Amino acid sequence: MKQIFYYFERDMRKWSRSRINVVASLAMPAAWLVLVGLTLPIRFTDNYLEFITPSILVMTMLFSSLQGGALMIFDKVLGFLNKFLAMPAPRESILLGKILFISTRGLLQATVILLIAGLLGVRIHSPLNIALVYLTLFLFGVLFSAIATTLALHISDHDGYAAVNSMISMPLFFASNALMPYDKMPEWLRMLAMVNPLSHTIDSIRVLFAGGLPVEGMVGLAVAAGVMVGVGVVQFRRTGV
Amino acid sequence: MIEMHELTKYFGSLCAVDHVNLKVENEIFGLLGPNGAGKSTTVMMLTTLLKPSSGSASICGYNVVKDAKKVRGTISYVPQDMAVDIKLTGRENVMLYAKLYGVPDRNMRVDDVLELLGLTGRAGDLVRTYSGGMRRRLELAQALVHEPEVLFLDEPTLGLDVAARKKIWEHISALRKRGMTIFMTTHYMEEADEYCDRVAIIDRGRIVVVDSPTNLKLGLGEGASLNDVFLENVKTGEDQAGFDAFRFRTMLRRRS
Repeated sequence: MKQIFYYFERDMRKWSRSRINVVASLAMPAAWLVLVGLTLPIRFTDNYLEFITPSILVMTMLFSSLQGGALMIFDKVLGFLNKFLAMPAPRESILLGKILFISTRGLLQATVILLIAGLLGVRIHSPLNIALVYLTLFLFGVLFSAIATTLALHISDHDGYAAVNSMISMPLFFASNALMPYDKMPEWLRMLAMVNPLSHTIDSIRVLFAGGLPVEGMVGLAVAAGVMVGVGVVQFRRTGV
Repeated sequence: MIEMHELTKYFGSLCAVDHVNLKVENEIFGLLGPNGAGKSTTVMMLTTLLKPSSGSASICGYNVVKDAKKVRGTISYVPQDMAVDIKLTGRENVMLYAKLYGVPDRNMRVDDVLELLGLTGRAGDLVRTYSGGMRRRLELAQALVHEPEVLFLDEPTLGLDVAARKKIWEHISALRKRGMTIFMTTHYMEEADEYCDRVAIIDRGRIVVVDSPTNLKLGLGEGASLNDVFLENVKTGEDQAGFDAFRFRTMLRRRS
């Protein structure tokens, strides 16, 4: 499936040539890290930055993945998708190339967050755990970019997609353990947060930061990502023709 | 090369293409018709982008549903949208297609098609800086990179100025001489008249006439243009507007 890489390469080139996109995608998570991570008067921990860094990493992946669905909308609306679908290359490589690009772009953004957090004093002690943080973030990116691109197949215009995106992303972020631990939440929010895939990913990353190995969380994420990619491919085959 | 047998497409209860039978040989074939007559739907079925509701079609002997992948390897499709990546260079745009089609010796092949379409000098520039005519030629270069046997063009000269249109047509005619079959739709009757070997007029999903432009004009009498043939055969817009085209044309003729 070399074609996946060719589609990936196309999106990557286009993205990297637009400097404003690159800068803009880094500004928001960096602002969270500094403006929220360093300033909130929190009592449950004396190192809130360390608590919130995993959250900002996952948030970056989440927003970037959901926003990535817009790429599919544009390809569809501008006529690229029809040209690609009329080619003999396996059709699902279009979808998989998008997922790969969106997840990789998310990881690049996450790298900048990690560097800034490192400058501010956050440390991960084992190199293996750094690699596993990346793996976890990648799986999470695949999960949500698969959801985003599949949604995009069913939505016909960019405005509609932007609306759906903001409807999903913010509530999902705030209804998780991103900003506070479960035991500080009101009961109803805790119930929501416990079933939120975002919380599980953030938990896994926090364990990795502390030097542990969250096997259960990572396997769960891998399974969810696999299932969602499968659903995406089936949907793509169905609506593509 | 292209055969359609009772080809039909319904969108809900709307019949967009209605039992079309057509045979296209090695030629430039023009599908003419008013807006919404079913031209694009027909092209999309032939290019495997839509499944027919009933009937069948084949390209070079491959069925568009059963052997869809083989059909896709045989054809190229240029939709009317002008979908080229403006943040990539001309060369990168063509190279993407060469890679996706798995073209052997792709560096050489990409250079060849860029040369063929007269884009070599600007191949390294971002497409953002290209004119409409150049973008259309770039799309043709993309479509030609894998040497298709049949080329589908949906409104290839839409929105281009006179010089750019002429240039596109010169390229299309040159391809025909090299043995390529070209199936296209257009709104411009003068262009169809000058360049197509045969044309079909489609109206409300049905093929009304098929013949060479010369024969069609002769059938209508001396001095008739393909525009007259078109208006004579197409009922859609005029009926709806309550406009009597026949009387209007007789009136015009009396004046001149």
